[in-house]
Amino acid sequence: MALLEVHDIHAGYGKMEILHGVTLKVEPGQIVSIIGPNGAGKSTVFKTIFGLLPVQQGRVLFAGEEVTNRSPEVLLRRGMTFVPQGRNVFPLMTVEENLLLGAYIRKRSPELLAEVERVYETFPILREKRKDRAGDLSGGQQQMLEMGRSLLLQPRLILLDEPTLGLAPLVFKEIFRIIEGLRKRGQTILMVEQNAAKALEISDYAYVLELGKNRYEGSGEAIRNDGRVKRLYLGR
Amino acid sequence: MTDVLQLFVAGVSIGAIYAMAAIGFVLLWQTSNTINFAQGEFVVLPAFLMVLFWTVFRLPFAAALLATLVVSTLLLGLLVKAVLVERLLKMGVLPLVIATIGLSMLIRYSLQQFWTPLALPFPALFSRAPIRVGEVIFTREELMNVLFAALVIGALQLAIRRTKLGWAMQAVAQNRNLAAVLGINVSRLVGLTFMLNAALTAVAAILVAPVYLVKYDIGIGIGLKAFYAAIIGGFNQIRGALLGGLLVGLVETYSAAYISNQFRDAFALIMLIGVLLLKPEGLWGIKEEWM
Repeated sequence: MALLEVHDIHAGYGKMEILHGVTLKVEPGQIVSIIGPNGAGKSTVFKTIFGLLPVQQGRVLFAGEEVTNRSPEVLLRRGMTFVPQGRNVFPLMTVEENLLLGAYIRKRSPELLAEVERVYETFPILREKRKDRAGDLSGGQQQMLEMGRSLLLQPRLILLDEPTLGLAPLVFKEIFRIIEGLRKRGQTILMVEQNAAKALEISDYAYVLELGKNRYEGSGEAIRNDGRVKRLYLGR
Repeated sequence: MTDVLQLFVAGVSIGAIYAMAAIGFVLLWQTSNTINFAQGEFVVLPAFLMVLFWTVFRLPFAAALLATLVVSTLLLGLLVKAVLVERLLKMGVLPLVIATIGLSMLIRYSLQQFWTPLALPFPALFSRAPIRVGEVIFTREELMNVLFAALVIGALQLAIRRTKLGWAMQAVAQNRNLAAVLGINVSRLVGLTFMLNAALTAVAAILVAPVYLVKYDIGIGIGLKAFYAAIIGGFNQIRGALLGGLLVGLVETYSAAYISNQFRDAFALIMLIGVLLLKPEGLWGIKEEWM
């Protein structure tokens, strides 16, 4: 059974429809990428799945259960987390407080603190900076904080929106190394990434969106080598 | 020298009340981007309610206090949030700001028209008998105002730093979209902040009423001073509002005593302009990047 199934969703902002029928599927253990030009509605797909924008038509199923138009809180409880685009931290709170807020829906427990320790093992820099204000971290460190925060609930699926946006090349590589590390641990990820070629390299499956609709789909490898996709979106 | 100390106590006493209104101001701004220009009336209405419950209905003091707190948090907290904020904030901050100006007039002139244009006496909560410490003489009232305000502000600060709800409030203030992504119910939290603000202004009302008397238009001064205080101290920090409130109280008291009583209100304003010119983020605020 697919972990996430999105059936023909229509959604947007107010009366402006951005998604005109998007369908996708994520199997457990996979990394699935959504690529497409600007304005294709990639981020809108995430916001809609995660209950931040209303689904006007269509359905979202998570682990076989209907979660269409459920609140972020419900999705978090079912095991889905979302790392939105851009630097998203609470700048005046410490790194550790930021991390703990990732588990806001949970009670503070020894298990949770153990989970924080695990995140520190994955991202040692966060342990080093745990008393620092999150706003004082570099862009790459903030991105690590965001990913660490999304891991805290031991999610079944992470929605990762543009994890490397605006990061320096060296940091970019580091982030991709981390994503691959997560995949080795069996973490299922659905991501949007501006560097489509690099994303496809590590993706099991990929969807190409255009103007709010599915355009192509296939294995990461197949999409990467598809002549039309190459010409249109990969700039090669 | 004794003057200076005595005026200090008086200034801190009134400043503590401004600080409470200013803190409410800051909380509203931070969690919901509401600049509440009716904040002064949010102090006046509870004062009138207290008069109603205590001297008209003749409830015992504690019951009157409780009734005032409950009714004002419902009216000025939940109702204002549901009727004004929920509907207008979608259209941006400015329509809401204008609406709060309207609300302030509605409350002010309704009280004048339908209740009384006169100043109502408000029984002193604490004795005004002088207390002498060395050379300095102050009243029990001044002392209790400071103590009470310190208690309320201290408890609030502790709750915001230590409780989960407090963390959620900070989270919404610093990044509301992210707060929603982490499962915080932003709308419910904003409602809670409005209730908290109403409770703060109600407490401020009960402390300030015996000093100012209860009159429909005293909110103009109080609201403005809370606004100055929040800007002077730093609009994005509770500690800033606290500092700003105390400073405005002190400047007002000292300038009234040593320079001119008629111009007492001008000096807080001068301080405000000075701060805006030299340190626009406020004395104890934090620079924010606007994205």
